[in-house]
Amino acid sequence: MNLDFTSVLPSLPFILQGLGVTLQIVCLAGILGFLLGIILSLCKISKIKLLNWLANAYTSVFRGTPLILQLMIIYFGSPQVLGFQIEGVTAAIIGFALNSAAYISEIIRAGIQAIDKGQQEAAMALGVPYRPTMVNIILPQAMKNILPALMNEFITLTKESALVTTIGVMDVMRRAYQVGANQYQFMEPLLLAGIIYYILVTILTFLGKLVEGRLRSND
Amino acid sequence: MIKVEKLHKSFGKNEVLKGISTQINNGEVVAIIGPSGSGKSTFLRCINKLEEPTDGKIWIKGADITDRQTDILKVRQNVGMVFQHFHLFPHMTVLENLTYAPLKVKKTTKSEAENTAMDLLEKVGLAVKAQEYPSKLSGGQKQRVAIARALAMNPEIMLFDEPTSALDPEMVKEVLDVMKTLAHSGMTMAIVTHEMGFAREVADRVLFLDGGVLVEDAPPNEFFSHPKSSRAQDFLQKVL
Repeated sequence: MNLDFTSVLPSLPFILQGLGVTLQIVCLAGILGFLLGIILSLCKISKIKLLNWLANAYTSVFRGTPLILQLMIIYFGSPQVLGFQIEGVTAAIIGFALNSAAYISEIIRAGIQAIDKGQQEAAMALGVPYRPTMVNIILPQAMKNILPALMNEFITLTKESALVTTIGVMDVMRRAYQVGANQYQFMEPLLLAGIIYYILVTILTFLGKLVEGRLRSND
Repeated sequence: MIKVEKLHKSFGKNEVLKGISTQINNGEVVAIIGPSGSGKSTFLRCINKLEEPTDGKIWIKGADITDRQTDILKVRQNVGMVFQHFHLFPHMTVLENLTYAPLKVKKTTKSEAENTAMDLLEKVGLAVKAQEYPSKLSGGQKQRVAIARALAMNPEIMLFDEPTSALDPEMVKEVLDVMKTLAHSGMTMAIVTHEMGFAREVADRVLFLDGGVLVEDAPPNEFFSHPKSSRAQDFLQKVL
């Protein structure tokens, strides 16, 4: 095996430019997915049967079909459904947000249900309404418990974001692939992309540990 | 103050309360005792609607809480509750535990809420712990904080659900002392308890429940020296 990075290294800035797109997709999809995940999880533990059913059906569909299929349906299906072609990045953000919301809602639901019922009863007994009880009492405690699982989900999201290559988004992955195609030499640019993803995930893991440590400080 | 009429509560097919009627007057301290599974806790939890009654009516200061039109959150602000397992908010300091509900629900100003909270902590002897998190406290201290937290809403009624049952023996007294002071201050109190000595000393009335039925309702002296029913006699023989 002879690896030769000299011809590929000049293309490194070109590959790195994809970081912006990758980060944009991961951050926005992560935040949107998280918010939607909270709403879905609250629907799942709601006393209203219809909300339970809707949230469970949602999760079932998004977990039960391939992510790449969901991405393609949103991207290639948009002209037929919406009447116009949405941009690749937008489709990617929507797709990843909808998909990760399904997984995150399960994580949050389990986290909420693991909190002692007495916490909610104590708030009820003080006359605190449902919404502040959830926002101030239950969710902060649940978040602390589910942080590792949540970090895992964001790490998965970061890596899976490479799938946007298939809908033409110029992320790190696609750029690496293009460099390879231009130079008829794939191994080196793909390795570079691999290193970039690995560093991203390592940073994310580190940040997660930092937040976790801070949250645990009052235990 | 509290009026209960033909209260029934079932969990599925299991009927836990079978038609309880009683009334608790302003300033009265009532001890609710009985064997485990007799429905004491369920009865108490119906009073602030932590359990939804299956049938019957409950009035708190004239408001029928079994009526869906009644704003139960409003009623609960006036009915403090202390739990067996404290249920302090672990992610908040002691002071924040006390000020949270007044700030959020009553919209008290921060300085006023904190002043009240510090006064109450002073009263339960824990002012020095204001900035600690609950995990740093002993069981007895947690329960005293829990009592102070309920009092921070300035309720007229206090419900206690076996407040000393989860405590190490040497911590029971410090909690009972706080409750005693509270009782002498004229608070209306309903206490589910296994502390017979405390019930005898502090309560104005004893309600004896067995099998979901209110078997006896008598002043403590009468109840403890001359229980009328054979079930109460049986029970007292076992616990005294």
